[in-house]
Amino acid sequence: MATLKAVKREDHRLSVTNKIRKDGLIPGVVYGKKTENQSIAIDGLELLKILREEGRNAIISLQIGEDKPLEVMLHDHQMDAIRNELVHVDLFAVDMDEEIDVEVAIVIDGEPVGSKDGGILQQPVFELAVRAKPNNIPDEIKIDVSSLQIGDVITVADLETSTDYTIFEDEDTTIATVLPPESEEEEETEAVDASAEPELIGAEDKEEE
Amino acid sequence: MLMPKRVKYRKQHRGRMKGQAKGGKTIAFGEYGLQALEPTWITARQIEAARIAMTRSMKRGGKVWVKIFPNKPYTAKPLEVRMGSGKGAPEAWVAVVKPGKILFEIAGVDEEVAREALRLASHKLPIRTKFVKREEIGGESNEG
Repeated sequence: MATLKAVKREDHRLSVTNKIRKDGLIPGVVYGKKTENQSIAIDGLELLKILREEGRNAIISLQIGEDKPLEVMLHDHQMDAIRNELVHVDLFAVDMDEEIDVEVAIVIDGEPVGSKDGGILQQPVFELAVRAKPNNIPDEIKIDVSSLQIGDVITVADLETSTDYTIFEDEDTTIATVLPPESEEEEETEAVDASAEPELIGAEDKEEE
Repeated sequence: MLMPKRVKYRKQHRGRMKGQAKGGKTIAFGEYGLQALEPTWITARQIEAARIAMTRSMKRGGKVWVKIFPNKPYTAKPLEVRMGSGKGAPEAWVAVVKPGKILFEIAGVDEEVAREALRLASHKLPIRTKFVKREEIGGESNEG
């Protein structure tokens, strides 16, 4: 289990939080069913390194100051969309004996047979809701799509079941499908008069009056 | 060209484009996307030109999502007309775009093809943009 050091945050003013970010740390919060909420600051690079090595649902031993280490998971995070940097993290103190709900990434494996005939592989769902004990959470759920023809669909019901975890999605949810190629006619849209104006809501009522 | 089917008012105030986009900052449907880095108005013509450039570049493989819609009318006065006498006539429809907004998404093609398609699309737009990939947190950098 990876270890991460954190410092307590006592001052919640924006100026102080911004200074923490300037110093290369990321403000965050730890909470859990049996843990009191604590505001912390952690090293963002260190956290990203752990997540890269052990996956999104990695269990981390969090050492806050001199306190007893807590077993935590990344529960939520905020990113700066433009700089692509972490802005804030929520860490969830987990009970290793209790099942929790997490999102697990779906990884598509192989190239469908239908793609060679011009079919387009479409994946409407990228994550699955899974309930498992923290130690049994899979890193990813692999799906082999190499046998898919045009029009074939893989749904949640087609996935292999495991005793370690339960998938909490509707069985009819489509995970991957191969769509037929788009016809040429669909691409070019009709030339619409640029000066055309949309209908005014309520204009008809006024005319009637 | 894209425009609303029905509207409540024919003309709108111009408004301001302060700050970053409030939503639509992450890739929701596809695998690759084009993200705006500046605030701007993108006209229906520009959106259409970018969409056509992308679909042609991908030779009709893959799927394209246009994540912005031109729902704001802008008005202009005719040439050589003195100021005053009320607001001009609606000229075109624009989408208000703020930094961070994902403008287009692509799926079903290789990264190389997607990169080229979105590069061509970006040349049809009046702002700086960047190529982004759907990535897990902690994954490789998604900037391009």
